[in-house]
Amino acid sequence: MTNHAYKAARFLKNEERATWHDKTLWMVRKKRDLMALDVPDWEELREQASQIKRHSLSKLDDYLVQFEEQAINNGAQVHWASTAGKLNEIVYQIIKENNASRIVKSKSMLTEECGLNPFLEKRGIEIIDTDLGERIIQLKREPPSHIVMPAIHIKKEEISELFHRELNSEEGNTDPTYLAATARLHLRQKFLEAEVAITGVNFAVAENGAVVVCTNEGNADMGVHAAPIQIHCMGIEKVIPRLSDLAVFTRLLARSATGQPITTYTSHYLNPKPGGQMHIIIVDNGRSELIGKEDYRDSLKCIRCGACMNTCPVYRRSGGHSYHYVIPGPIGSILAPHSNSKEFENLPFASSLCGSCSDVCPVKINIHGQLYRWRQDLSQQGARSPIKKGIMKVSGKILASDKMYDWSGKVARWCIKYLPRVLIYNRLNTWGRERELPEVPRESFKEWYNKNFREGNKNGQK
Amino acid sequence: MQIGLFIPCYIDQFYPKVGIATLELLEKLGLEVFYPSEQTCCGQPLANSGAEDKAIKTYNNFVRIFSKFDYIVSPSGSCVYHVRENYNVLPQTDEVRRVRQNTFELCEFIVDILKTDDLKIDFPHKVGVHQSCHGLRGLKLATPSELIVEHYSKVHRLLKKAKGIEIINLDREDECCGFGGTFSIFQPDISVKMGKDRLDDHRRNGAEVITATDMSCLMHLEGIARRQNREVRFLHIAEILNSNRL
Amino acid sequence: MDRNKILLNIQRSRIKPVNLPEPFYSAEKEGDKTTLFKEILLQTGGDCIEVNSTEKLNSLLDNNFRGATDLRRNELFKNFLSYSNKDSLERLKTVILEGQFGVAENGSIWIDDSNFPNRLIPFINEELVLCLDAKQIVRNMHEAYLRTDNAISGFGVFISGPSKTSDIEQHLVYGAHGAKKLIVVISHETNLV
Repeated sequence: MTNHAYKAARFLKNEERATWHDKTLWMVRKKRDLMALDVPDWEELREQASQIKRHSLSKLDDYLVQFEEQAINNGAQVHWASTAGKLNEIVYQIIKENNASRIVKSKSMLTEECGLNPFLEKRGIEIIDTDLGERIIQLKREPPSHIVMPAIHIKKEEISELFHRELNSEEGNTDPTYLAATARLHLRQKFLEAEVAITGVNFAVAENGAVVVCTNEGNADMGVHAAPIQIHCMGIEKVIPRLSDLAVFTRLLARSATGQPITTYTSHYLNPKPGGQMHIIIVDNGRSELIGKEDYRDSLKCIRCGACMNTCPVYRRSGGHSYHYVIPGPIGSILAPHSNSKEFENLPFASSLCGSCSDVCPVKINIHGQLYRWRQDLSQQGARSPIKKGIMKVSGKILASDKMYDWSGKVARWCIKYLPRVLIYNRLNTWGRERELPEVPRESFKEWYNKNFREGNKNGQK
Repeated sequence: MQIGLFIPCYIDQFYPKVGIATLELLEKLGLEVFYPSEQTCCGQPLANSGAEDKAIKTYNNFVRIFSKFDYIVSPSGSCVYHVRENYNVLPQTDEVRRVRQNTFELCEFIVDILKTDDLKIDFPHKVGVHQSCHGLRGLKLATPSELIVEHYSKVHRLLKKAKGIEIINLDREDECCGFGGTFSIFQPDISVKMGKDRLDDHRRNGAEVITATDMSCLMHLEGIARRQNREVRFLHIAEILNSNRL
Repeated sequence: MDRNKILLNIQRSRIKPVNLPEPFYSAEKEGDKTTLFKEILLQTGGDCIEVNSTEKLNSLLDNNFRGATDLRRNELFKNFLSYSNKDSLERLKTVILEGQFGVAENGSIWIDDSNFPNRLIPFINEELVLCLDAKQIVRNMHEAYLRTDNAISGFGVFISGPSKTSDIEQHLVYGAHGAKKLIVVISHETNLV
């Protein structure tokens, strides 16, 4: 059984909880529908976003240089990191040079991808995630299970217990308002003490060097404005040409992500505060190579809204951790194999290919098309197991020959009909564990047709 | 107009009644229907499992067998979608292009090509329509719930004309049933959970009959329902449309 | 070094040029912008008060938000520039700021460095009051960015409702880190003297 399938099965062991997970995320999907419905020309807006992103990718080097120039003019310091390790090193250097030790960070899937937290922790530097969901999983020492709702897999009872243990909150108080207030007090202190604030980046505007960060909690701003040093980490694909393009993306992002018309805070950082430092780190980590792969390039359009997760019937019922990659769900399944095709070869198969992900995607990434394409490419690369390889080879032969096909069908039907039930419904028959096989008809359609029509005029031999 | 009837492999082997209903219906509609008996399969089971390379021979056979017809009609949205969409990996000869263009799912063939929707059916039952994903999003047989465009559904259009029918509303009008081809075998737990959730939705809303354009979805749902002794009938859309007075 | 490596790598896989589409304008919902703005503002958890004149605005602020830090006043603004350590900011309860313009489609208001003497101020208080001239409401984000006239500098932010989180079981809680309450006072005739 593939890795995802195994982990999904484990998630489903607690069916009540899986059902809760499914329903909760479905609710978010419905909220997204209502919001999208409220925007005139929603589908055209998606198309516009897609074209802007495709254009940006086609001239990415120019826009990055333009962005860098503007940012430097504004007073920011720009760094480039070709790999995850380089990003971590640069951040570490900035911290060291300023003799800093207290770091806060708002949500950044990029630093998650690069493993920044463990890197700094190993060097004795404490880094506090300030998004409530991220703080919860940080205290719980777990990876996020969703890119927008990182702690969606955790129940309030567990959070209550965790906060009681770690933050001294009242035992047994599971009221979300109380728990959030506890976190507010705890993190307020961290903000005030922080010397360095790290953020991710939603958009970087080439024409004016602005870094745009969207949050609901205000944690990016609390960190950035409280700490003397601000560091923004962005993937190379985050740059868009014009300020006016931001309108398109800010209209789409929150509506797609959480079903809000816009995030509470849409912050534009252009220069450091008086006496402060502003660093921007531009990270590649495999992205520039991905640009060269035509079948997969479009995955770089992603704006990390998470809509594909909320709509995905598989994700909702298997939880983010079943994907065992930093970005779960449909988009994660097409990104993961780029970083390690062996480890993540099972992910493109963790889908029924229903295609809903591609329809909700605000930048129109053909996600299910890429999942299908990955299946072919990974199999070509030999990632298929020898057993599956054998099955496919034999099946290919059978389906390519009508004689073998007819004969195999007959045998299969005979087996289902006449073999004892224990033989058919064995351990290897994953279909039959919770499903009956179809009742076997007396004859196949072809047999019926040949009997009834062969002598007639319509024997198919046109 | 000469129609080539394509009966997908699992319908051929397990649901001949669906093939028969399709054939009878097309003939009642006055069409000249041919069933080339050297046909096997569209190749989708292989390609969806990542073995497109092993499926090419099957693709070529399909094209060779069916390219001579004006239209190729099949009671499966999924297989039709596969031919239309994924035969793009073949060299695009005239034959391949013709086959890709002229292969139709039964309902869309009736609505779009024959341009009719009243099949004079009596069907006094409460019916739950399962929108199979490939038909829905691939062939655009209806508007998926997540797209913000004017809503239509070719299947509903045909069914609504049936006398006495009550089409139930579902809580989730078009969520995937979890069949997904070999997904149902390699990811059995998720697949079954998705199926159970679909069945619950239909039950909550009072379906007596569940129908779909794809027997594969129904085979999966029926398999779960039978194991759990649920009381609901499964009929392929062709079986309902063929229960007519034409 | 990394810079050139990355840029070269991008250039190496240079892809077919794709045109940058013209800026987007869409048909918009009918209706009064202020009404729409208010409606969405309430949905995002904000409160709204409307007044008819500048005088009324000032007396309302005096009555309803006594003791608030009103940073629309020049003297106070200047004072803050010299003294603003984090701990003193932390004691801010209610802050009143001038909002530059509002966006009807999402109930947000744009403010930037010119509206507050310290960037923490809009976030670190308990209750944020934004004053908005009804004439300064644009329809959507396209108009909003046009309205900034490409003159954004330093720091600027769209604020839509109070700070919030749904990270615990998708249960909505106001006041995650920033202001717990947001009140927008819309004045309809600001006849500035």
